[in-house]
Amino acid sequence: MASLSNSVKLKYFKLGYQYLVNHILTFFLIPILMGFLIKILSLGSDQIFEIWSSLHFDLLQFLGSSLMIIFFATVYFMSKPRSIYLVDYACFKPPASYRVPHSTLVEHLRLSNKDNPEIVEFQRRILQRSGLGDETCLAPANLYIPPTPSLEASRVEAELILFSVIDDLLKKTGTKTKDIDILIVNCSIVSPTPSLSAMVINKYKLRSNIKSFNLSGMGCSASLISIDLARDLLQVHPNSCALVVSTEITTPNYYSGNERSMVLINCLFRMGGAAILLSNRKADRSRSKYQLLHLVRTHKGADDEAYRCIHEQEDTQGIQGVSLSKDLMLIAGEALKSNITTIGPLVLPASEKLLFLFTLIGQKILKLKWKPYIPDFKQAFEHFCIHAGGRGVIDELQKKLQLSAKDVEASRMTLHRFGNTSSSSIWYEMNYIESKGRMKKGDRVWQIAFGSGFKCNSAVWKCNRTITTLTDGPWLDCIGRYPVSISQVLDL
Amino acid sequence: MVSSDHQNLVYDIKLSSVGPGHVTGSNVVHEPSNMDLAMKLHYLRGVYFFSSEAVQGLTVYRIKEPMFTWLNHYYWTCGRFRRSNSGRPLIKCNDCGVRIIEAKCDKTIDEWLEMKDSSLTKLLVSNHIIGPELPFSPLVFLQVTSFKCGGMSLGLSWAHVLADAFSASDFINMWGQAMANQLPQHPVDLSKSSSMLVKPANRSQLATDPLSIKRVDPVGDNWITANNCKMEPFSFHITATQLTQLQTKISGHKATPPFECLCTIFWQSIARVCSRHEPEIVTVCKNERGSRRTGTLSNSAQIISTVKADFSVKEAKPKDVAALLVEHAVDERGLIEAAVERDGGVSDFIVYGANLTFVNLEEASFYGLELKGQKPVHVSYLIDGIGDEGVVLVAPPGPKDSGKDSSEGRIVTVIFPEDQVMELKSELKREWSIA
Repeated sequence: MASLSNSVKLKYFKLGYQYLVNHILTFFLIPILMGFLIKILSLGSDQIFEIWSSLHFDLLQFLGSSLMIIFFATVYFMSKPRSIYLVDYACFKPPASYRVPHSTLVEHLRLSNKDNPEIVEFQRRILQRSGLGDETCLAPANLYIPPTPSLEASRVEAELILFSVIDDLLKKTGTKTKDIDILIVNCSIVSPTPSLSAMVINKYKLRSNIKSFNLSGMGCSASLISIDLARDLLQVHPNSCALVVSTEITTPNYYSGNERSMVLINCLFRMGGAAILLSNRKADRSRSKYQLLHLVRTHKGADDEAYRCIHEQEDTQGIQGVSLSKDLMLIAGEALKSNITTIGPLVLPASEKLLFLFTLIGQKILKLKWKPYIPDFKQAFEHFCIHAGGRGVIDELQKKLQLSAKDVEASRMTLHRFGNTSSSSIWYEMNYIESKGRMKKGDRVWQIAFGSGFKCNSAVWKCNRTITTLTDGPWLDCIGRYPVSISQVLDL
Repeated sequence: MVSSDHQNLVYDIKLSSVGPGHVTGSNVVHEPSNMDLAMKLHYLRGVYFFSSEAVQGLTVYRIKEPMFTWLNHYYWTCGRFRRSNSGRPLIKCNDCGVRIIEAKCDKTIDEWLEMKDSSLTKLLVSNHIIGPELPFSPLVFLQVTSFKCGGMSLGLSWAHVLADAFSASDFINMWGQAMANQLPQHPVDLSKSSSMLVKPANRSQLATDPLSIKRVDPVGDNWITANNCKMEPFSFHITATQLTQLQTKISGHKATPPFECLCTIFWQSIARVCSRHEPEIVTVCKNERGSRRTGTLSNSAQIISTVKADFSVKEAKPKDVAALLVEHAVDERGLIEAAVERDGGVSDFIVYGANLTFVNLEEASFYGLELKGQKPVHVSYLIDGIGDEGVVLVAPPGPKDSGKDSSEGRIVTVIFPEDQVMELKSELKREWSIA
């Protein structure tokens, strides 16, 4: 009872402190203005007129000062970066015929790896604890025993995903293909010639003077890298719109070897993709869903351990795959800390910044044994989209950022329904929040993505208009079933 | 065993799986009935041949895609067996899927059918059995073989523990409907179907096993029984005219139904050639009309009865044998279920081949599987895992064989010990002009 009343008191104290610090200017200004108003009202109207005429307004002075004001205002507005609007986005919904239930995957692994039952058992245990559900999907080549990857099969998968999401997006936004000025496609593992961006240009007959980019090898955080690139380009090119397409092609990803660090890909990575339309046109402002507020990129590649923690390589038998280091969580934590150090000051309210500064001074300068203060990011954001890299990543970030179960619900449910779709997973999470009807005008969303390198990229969006019930999207037929409770260990 | 030069006839084998498109859910279990468990050591192997017109433009993906919707209606066929604490097998409906085999053949369909070698059918349909690991054994295999002429064969390998041939045929016919986008809207609610205990047995009869089944040595988790001799399949095509002649020869008029006539012929012929002993008891299996619910699969709607001859069959008059078959068949389903129940579903039995068994598949809608509105040009069915006494299957003929009036021919497939096949064939030719 005593502890309950104490915690309630603490809560109100905290609220009071936050209110005071965040609105400190208001708290100062209001008494001053009130004083001023009282003073003016206490004077008579003659005295006001006297004061006014004593100011001696000269025409030249008046013109001069107005010009100065206009000049500085112009410089200010010109140098302000263009606002980037997210008009809309579309996520890929794989057909039911691509579904891979856990039981099927385990059975296929057993048949493909008859010589090595231990690695099959290891993968089965990972699947049990992975947080993935039974509806995640893989490309047909992966449903053969053993899988039959080929360049042709990769292209077919790429065409299916890219064309499907772009068709969706163009229809939703009513955009004509000739209006697309910038095209950025990111896909980490698959990078054929001609590139995937060339594939899109060919299919949709885009303009010959389009600015196209194809980003490969940049891992699961590549979508935000593409958004960053689009943003920079939209600063330079006025009145333009950019189409960003993020995907990861699963066809060639099956690892048939025996290294434990390399089989995680088989268990976690699934089919997915997203297309996003960005614009800097004033006309698109009212119809856009979001506005980009901040985008911060952190690269820990200078550190050797971070550089090697997600590493594509050949194993001792010459079989190619991607190895994930045991220290992945640790490195991710470090990268996140770096990223927060940059983004924190941009987004946190004054109350949190002050507390953080206070604790930092105490720790570093006064050398007091204080625990580092973790800012309350729930004050800065209404929604969180943490890349659904795996259950471990979400658990780790929930702990580090002190988030509630509801804050990470979008991430966990995306992992359950779609698996780790690599760079596009943050968009499925965004769509989950919208499908649940939780996205209101003014809400701020924080997307955090990790990727090989090791990178931590985050983007902050502000919701431009309340999004009521969606009539499309990958969650449409199943949102009613979510959230589901995911057991620690599935019974397979 | 298929000879070595035949091994390469079918090549480029690819394996994959197809399951239901909808998630069945966790902890969904399908419990086989006693009748189902009595049949668990048997497997149906059906092959459907389609001409190139019926399958033109069908890629592997277009064949597989409708299967995901189709299997929503039969999700338990995609599960895997487990054993409960008492040892009784049950199916965990974990959506693992049916196994799909893709293959190619360098012969045309006509060339293949010309070969008239029933043992070659083994190349077009999987000879899988359930086991040795129950949790990883698919219950259904589908083999799609492409022929040189553009035609296709579909091999259905079906574990009899799921249901009888009539149900298996309905199951695959529904895939044809799925291909034509004509599936019923909602899958049938399985919870309402029940395994019926047909004609509960008398108390006095409960202690002993019925005549129609044979208890075999425990097979553990390897659900196949070994034969003492190699069994060989061979088929006869009996035309409508031939059938009428045989009916007249047996009973002087057409009163005896065709199936019983054929049973008489084969019973007598086998009795005459059988070196070990004359079969006194035969098992007769036929469809029980009106007791099947659409969309469900069952073993309980196939009547399994025994016919016991007090006289010597090989010396008797054919019409006496025919009369025996028509009038004195004893339905033993209740007894079979009781025998299985006695041991809690743990013991192993065989039904087909425990005695000489005649299976009436006339009412199976084998030719009901249509692709692009076209029926198959030929369908053949075999049963694997049968006992040493042999099995005779009487199936409906192909579409080309329907007679001018309502009479039709029959396809008779015999699975019999290899060493007596030649004698049987010559007896049939000599006595009945069947070749």
